[in-house]
Order: sequence, then C-alpha cells, then structure tokens
Amino acid sequence: MKKILKLTLILFLVSAIVAGVLGVVNEVTKDRIAEQNRIKTEKAFAAVLPASGYEELALDTSAYTNIDSISKATGGEGYVVQTTFSGAQGNITMVVGVSPDYKCTGISIISHAETSGLGANAASTSDIGVNWRAQFVGQDKNMAITKAGGTIDALTGATITSRSVAEAAANAISVVESLG
Amino acid sequence: MLTNIISISLGAILVNNFIFSQFLGCCPFLGCSSKVETATGMGLAVVFVMGLASAICWVIDTYILIPLGLAFLETLAFILVIASLVQFVEMFLKKSIPSLYSALGIYLPLITTNCAVLGVVLLNVQNHYNFIESVVYGITGGFGFMLAIVLFASVRERVQFSDYPECFDGFPICLISAGLLALAFMGFSGMKIF
Amino acid sequence: MNIKKQFKEGLITNNPVLVQLIGMCATMAITTTLFNGVGMGLSVLIILTCCNVVVSAIRKIIPNEIRLAIFVVIIAGFVTIVDLLLKAYIPALSEALGVFIPLIVVNCIIIGRAEAFCQKNTIGASFFDGIFQGLGYTVVLIIMCVFRELVGSGKFGGGLIDIANGFRFTMDGTGGGIQLFPADYGATIMIMPFGGFITLGLLIALMQYMLKKSAKKKEAAEKAAVKEGEE
Repeated sequence: MKKILKLTLILFLVSAIVAGVLGVVNEVTKDRIAEQNRIKTEKAFAAVLPASGYEELALDTSAYTNIDSISKATGGEGYVVQTTFSGAQGNITMVVGVSPDYKCTGISIISHAETSGLGANAASTSDIGVNWRAQFVGQDKNMAITKAGGTIDALTGATITSRSVAEAAANAISVVESLG
Repeated sequence: MLTNIISISLGAILVNNFIFSQFLGCCPFLGCSSKVETATGMGLAVVFVMGLASAICWVIDTYILIPLGLAFLETLAFILVIASLVQFVEMFLKKSIPSLYSALGIYLPLITTNCAVLGVVLLNVQNHYNFIESVVYGITGGFGFMLAIVLFASVRERVQFSDYPECFDGFPICLISAGLLALAFMGFSGMKIF
Repeated sequence: MNIKKQFKEGLITNNPVLVQLIGMCATMAITTTLFNGVGMGLSVLIILTCCNVVVSAIRKIIPNEIRLAIFVVIIAGFVTIVDLLLKAYIPALSEALGVFIPLIVVNCIIIGRAEAFCQKNTIGASFFDGIFQGLGYTVVLIIMCVFRELVGSGKFGGGLIDIANGFRFTMDGTGGGIQLFPADYGATIMIMPFGGFITLGLLIALMQYMLKKSAKKKEAAEKAAVKEGEE
C-alpha cells in the first residue's frame, strides 16, 4: 500500500511539473497565438469585402444549414458570412463576402483538411488558388461549377472540393438574401 | 440532428475512413491483420475504447479544461485518460466479463499507442462536436477501423500464397495491398447526405 | 557506443521507418509537399532529442513500475510545447500538419527510443541517438515528399521554395515550388492516400533489397576469407 502511494505521488509530481512548464509556455505564446488567429480572420474578412468595420448580426445560426455567423459591414458595403461545410476530406471553414445586391464579392478559406496539392489549392496563396477564387467574384446564388451547369471551372483533380465550395458560397448568398 | 449523425457516421466509416483516408491507426492496422480472427478482435476492442474515450474526454474537456482555461493541457490529459481507461477496461473485463476479456484481452494494451484513439478525441475537439456527435464519431470511427482491418486481413490471408519478389516480403507487400484497398475506398470520397 | 556507428544506425541499418517499421501513420499521411515533410521531420527530431535527454537524465530515479506512464507524460509535455510554439510562430505549418503534431505523442519512435535506448545509456549517447534517429526519420519523410510531389504534381519543394521573387526559402507555406513539368501531366493519385501506401511499400522493399544484398556480399567475403585461411 505504501508503495502504491509512493508511485502515485511520483507520477503526480512529474505530471505537475510538466503541467507547470506547459503553463509557462502557454503564457508566453498565448497572446501571439490569439494575435495570429485575429490577423487571419481579419485578413480573410478584408480579402472578401473591404470595409471600415464589421458588426456581427445577432442571429440564431442553427436555423440555417452550415452557417456559423453573419457580419454586416458597418459602412453598408454588404455582408460577410462565415460558413463551415464538408469538403472532400473534412470540414472546410470559409468566409464569403456578399454585396448589397446579393452578388459574391470574394471567398476566403480559413481552415480545411483537403488533400495537399489538389483540393488544398482552393485555399492556397499561389497563383492557382488566387485565380481560382477570383472566379467567384460577381457570381450570384445560382452559381455552380461547369460540371453542374455553372461557369466556375473546377480545380484540377479536385472536383469534389470545388463543388462543395461553390455550393456553400451559393448557400451563403441565399441565406443573406432571405434575411433581406 | 438525425441527418447530422447519419452524415457523421457515413463519413467516419466510408468517406473519411480512419485508415484509408486519414492514416490514423496504421501501426495496429499493419501489425494485427495477419488473420481475420485477430483482426476482428482488435477491431472490436478499438470500437469499444474509441467510444468510451470520446465520451470521457469530451466531458473532461468541456467541464474541466475549458472552464479553467487549461485547453493547452488537452493532449496531455487525453493521453493519460486513454492510458488509464485502457488499464481500467482491462481490469474490469477480467473480473466481470471473462469471456469478452479472453476475446479482447491481448489487444487492449496495444490500443494505448493506437493513434486512431487519440486522433478521434482530438478531432472531436477540433470539429466542435457536442457530446452525442463525439460519441457517434468515436464509435463509427472504430467501426470504420474494424471494416478496414477485417477487409485487409482477408486480403493478406490470400496474398501470402501469391508470388512476389523476395524483397517485398513482409511489410512492403502489405503496404501495396493496403494502397489498392485505399484506391477502392477513394470511390466514396465526396459522398454526402444532406 | 561511438557516434559514427550511431549515425549509421539512425540513417540506415536501424532506420526508424524503413527498418524498425514504426511511426508510419504520419509518414504516409503528411508527405505530400516538401514543406510538410521538412516541418514534421524537424519537429520530431527536436521532440525526440529533448525526450531522450530528459529520460536519460532521470533514468536512475524513476521507479520501474511506472516508467512508461512517466515517459508518456514527458513526451506529451514536449509535444505540447512544440505545438504551441508552431501555432504562435509558424502558423502555416501548424495548419498543414493539423492533428498530426499532437499525435507525435503516440508516435512509437519516441517512446520506443526512450524504452530501448535512453533507459540504459548516458545523456550524451541519448542526445546523439535522438539527433540521428530524428535525422533518419526526416530523411525518409523528405524522400517520400520529393517522390510523391514530383510524380503527383510535377513540382519540387512546394511550400518551402519560392521562385516567384528570386530563389528563396519561405517558412509561411506560400512558396509555389519549382514546377518541373505541368501539373496536368502529373499522376495526382500519388498525392492521395494510395500514393502514400505505395511509396512507403516500394521504399521499404528497396531497403530490404539493399540490406539483403550487402548481407550476401559480407557472407561471400567471409567465406572467401575462411577459404583463404584454410589454404
């Protein structure tokens, strides 16, 4: 019994020391991680709809499929919708800019788990990614990839990812439109 | 809610199969698949532990770590929970359900280092699943693993009677057959239920 | 235990992936661009070296019964530190590797080395063991990345090398890599899971072929030596 107690105590002590060290590292990196995340969201918002400020609408988002949040640009430039949906490999989180006349002003993917070099190109900052995302500008809620009768060219080897992104962007626009 | 659960299950078993599309749990997948029987035992043990671990870790994460602002301890806490859970399940089965213990017993200690278990728990957090979704993802993920390992074991039982170059003996030929199975599973990619 | 021998063991004769056959999940999952491979390899190298040193330092004071539990706690600690640092300073890498960074905890390489080597050896030897085993792992990852990326998308060094504004290395994952032939001619299947399994299978087969060949050569040389002695 004494032995068990001793072992438990040692294990506890080791865990406590490790947890303590992690606490310190966390304290050091916490602000920077928060800053990185903030920069990322801000960049994504500014990339899809440049505006002076954004204000999140108080909505019950569970009433809509795949919608996380809808923010209104304070200067009346339009809306930014954050949406999470399933791609080819896992969930994709994306922001969609919507103009006051319900056209897409741009899309930006925040996080995804698509295949590197294929579906991941949808989110990449390389020319392929930038040119591909540029096709979404000006599209309306009826947008679709060419295979589904629309005008958006799918990424090479990533039809499924392209289709999900187009469908999600179309969904985001129709939700904003339904709000009026 | 129901469609959500169905789509999570379908995803975990077929579309995003833990082995063939996410590469989680490859070590036991290759190590314990020489016979269909052992593969089934391992698969069942994994379903059991993944379901339990998802439930317990979700509770610990939501009610202890996040309220206390200790989210950075997630990895440490989860691996300790899984290790002690495996030990506990082993002791419990040995005492109360000896028949199940004799079937699963030898696989249980191996599960601690199965990255599918830690993987599913971390993915639950990453995907912001609620309690029910987490448990469903854990159990169906386990079934996906089981489907993969049983299929693979039956392929391996036949492969050992085939001719292949000597240097492919052992792991290489297994990896090649697993690759072909993964190719078959690619047919499910992008399938979804709305 | 000399350093030269440890170097050879880590990289070739006792290579963690190709010979010990451990740590394969991440090896197949993330080797799609050079950026991922180098990032993952270096992360494992750093964690492995730190864990080796710590485990070897405390090897005489930890009770035998709970040594595995203590190893796991120490490993989880270092993994979390690396995870937090990557999130703070190289977010692109942290995103690309995703769940595979925390999963280094259950990567058998680290606990395997702690159990098989550091328990019995000095801090110095454990330190070099960590470096060389980590290097062996990194080299395999890099070979797989280069092969899969080249065959799959005709590129070299995706994410890591940027040639758009002169040749330079980037750590934010934005480099386009060097396009050696148009991506449309690439066998994209090599970047999919299928490619991971096949590439690793071929690589291990090649390793087995070479090891067997050198063993045969040695045997033949020994036989010749014995014959000479007899004569």
